Amino acid sequence: MGEIILDVQNQRTAFATGRGLLQAVEGVSFTLERGKTLGVVGESGSGKSVLSRSIMRLLPGTAITGPGSRVLLNGKDLTGMTEHELRRLRGPEVAIVFQDPMTSLNPVLTIGKQIAEVLVFHMGMSKRAARAKSIELLRAVGLPQPDVRVDQYPHQLSGGMRQRVAIAIAIACEPDLLIADEPTTALDVTVQAEILDLLGRMVRERNMAMILITHDMGVVAGRCDDVAVMYAGRIVEKAPVRELFGNTRMPYTAALLASIPRVTDPPHRKLDAIEGRPPDLINPPPGCPFAPRCRFASAECQQQVPALEGQGAHQYACIKPLNTGVAA
Amino acid sequence: MADISQESGTKSYAATPDDKAAKHAEAIAHFKKRNKFGLYFWIPMVWLLFVLFCAVFAPLFGLPPADEIDWMYIKEGPNEVHWLGTDSLGRDMLSRIIYGGRVSLTVGFAAPFIGVGLGLILGMIAGYYRGWADEIIGIAIDTWLAIPGLVILLLFSVVFGGSLFMVCFSLGLLFIPTAARITRAATLNYAGREFVLAAKALGASDFRILTKEVFPNIIWPLIAFILIDIPIAIVIEGSLSFLGLSVKAPTPSWGGIIAEGREVLSTSPHIAMYPTLVMFLTVLSFNLVGDAIRRRLADVREGAI
Ligand SMILES: Nc1ncnc2c1ncn2[C@@H]1O[C@H](COP(=O)(O)OP(=O)(O)OP(=O)(O)O)[C@@H](O)[C@H]1O
Ligand SMILES: [Mg+2]
Repeated sequence: MGEIILDVQNQRTAFATGRGLLQAVEGVSFTLERGKTLGVVGESGSGKSVLSRSIMRLLPGTAITGPGSRVLLNGKDLTGMTEHELRRLRGPEVAIVFQDPMTSLNPVLTIGKQIAEVLVFHMGMSKRAARAKSIELLRAVGLPQPDVRVDQYPHQLSGGMRQRVAIAIAIACEPDLLIADEPTTALDVTVQAEILDLLGRMVRERNMAMILITHDMGVVAGRCDDVAVMYAGRIVEKAPVRELFGNTRMPYTAALLASIPRVTDPPHRKLDAIEGRPPDLINPPPGCPFAPRCRFASAECQQQVPALEGQGAHQYACIKPLNTGVAA
Repeated sequence: MADISQESGTKSYAATPDDKAAKHAEAIAHFKKRNKFGLYFWIPMVWLLFVLFCAVFAPLFGLPPADEIDWMYIKEGPNEVHWLGTDSLGRDMLSRIIYGGRVSLTVGFAAPFIGVGLGLILGMIAGYYRGWADEIIGIAIDTWLAIPGLVILLLFSVVFGGSLFMVCFSLGLLFIPTAARITRAATLNYAGREFVLAAKALGASDFRILTKEVFPNIIWPLIAFILIDIPIAIVIEGSLSFLGLSVKAPTPSWGGIIAEGREVLSTSPHIAMYPTLVMFLTVLSFNLVGDAIRRRLADVREGAI
């Protein structure tokens, strides 16, 4: 076993809304080792982003964290930390790459300033050293002409280049854990693979751990060690990537796999292969949250929420698991 | 989102936030790169620079002190010794107008900056933290607005006397409410943006987010606001001087000189006329220059709103 970077225990996150309590993340647990990449896959609204914000303790004021929830980063419990203590970890120990680099970069600051800012603050670098380091980082993420680009504004860069900049900022303080929240969803199909390759390379070169969030099973395939499938705020199946693809147990995972976009599909196609809609998170129906959409569901499935269990590394929350390969 | 805009082909309403942000940034870059201002900008600009130059370098011109009485020339028109004549006490008009310009311009610049500075702090706190901070600041501003400006100015003048600083400060107070409201709205707009969350994710404190992330984005509407306020402040200071509520005599200010000239308007019109003319041209110039710059800023902001 490698060094454990992240240990999430029973993370529960709810939002106080006008209609009642919205349970966005419900009892998520997993660990992540150094050098490993965990893919988190799920439909829109399944709680992937809320989970990532919960790990970083970056939730809005309306969020309520469950009393038993614990997040251990490098063995340190983030749950009880003050905002001041958390600030010192964000950047040097955990960093995040957001979906859309156009909105996650400040439009009126040069990219050099945005990288240097972090270096000056966390690493105590001088302005000059920070600038040199910024150029070096931009070169490391494969931005062409880094010494010219460093003085440009985000809008002067293409989407792919902007995401490279966002990655450069995220890795600037050499975090142990990198969270990438749908890092390629807003990008051109042609550069998606490049960005994913870059993230993979950074994780390997810098020996980080990464959580790669996506709603695209295809993204996860060659790039993750383990995959966690999320549905309605829960992990419903979790396994090493080969095992998950080769021996899918949870019907929801099977449905996701069947919905992997094909090259012939139009761009920005939504995940619509699965019939029906995700459950209401404010008044969830009893039983398995996927039951109403599941072909294999029986009355039994509506009784109580199945626990996430299984032998060894492969776990799933289903009382009527598939035992053949991918369901057709 | 992207699909919708492609299908309908409409531009403005289908525009995604990214498009807007891109346009905004582009417009700013455009603004910084090219300065195609016309004569309506440059002629008043030259006048303003001239007035500013005179005010700043006044002591270098070898002018008689603004309160020195020349018994040989009382209420004289322009002549070779006193180019713009003398007032009813025999003081050099040119010197008085130039030194008066120092006071008027100081107030003209300082008051809006003080007002916008304080309004900026209040507006940022209200817009960023929302909640009770927002409510308290909102109520305070509404209350402040309910008191007539002249009453505030009178009160300050009576209680604190007519030092230059107090005049700037009390006048500045009048600009707080609008500046705070503009800042609050702009802060509200930017505080929810993803780059603010991204900064937080990198360990930025609220203070650093406000100063380094939000502030560079909201500075433009505030600059536009300051540009409008400079001539307004000059005019208000003039009115206050006229009422004797500004800096105390014998320190000259344009309004004060005009007030003194009013008493001898029928016999020596030049005493009131020259400062009036200078003040008129200066205020007009500030308005023209301000309008030209604001039009440019509006182009910039069109992308953002
Ligand atoms: N600030 C909030 N207040 C209330 N509800 C929220 C808030 N943020 C997220 N939610 C709700 O939490 C649920 C999970 O949202 P989340 O953003 O994590 O989904 P996601 O899996 O990241 O989806 P996507 O693929 O669209 O990014 C959704 O039902 C969403 O409406
Ligand atoms: Mg998300």
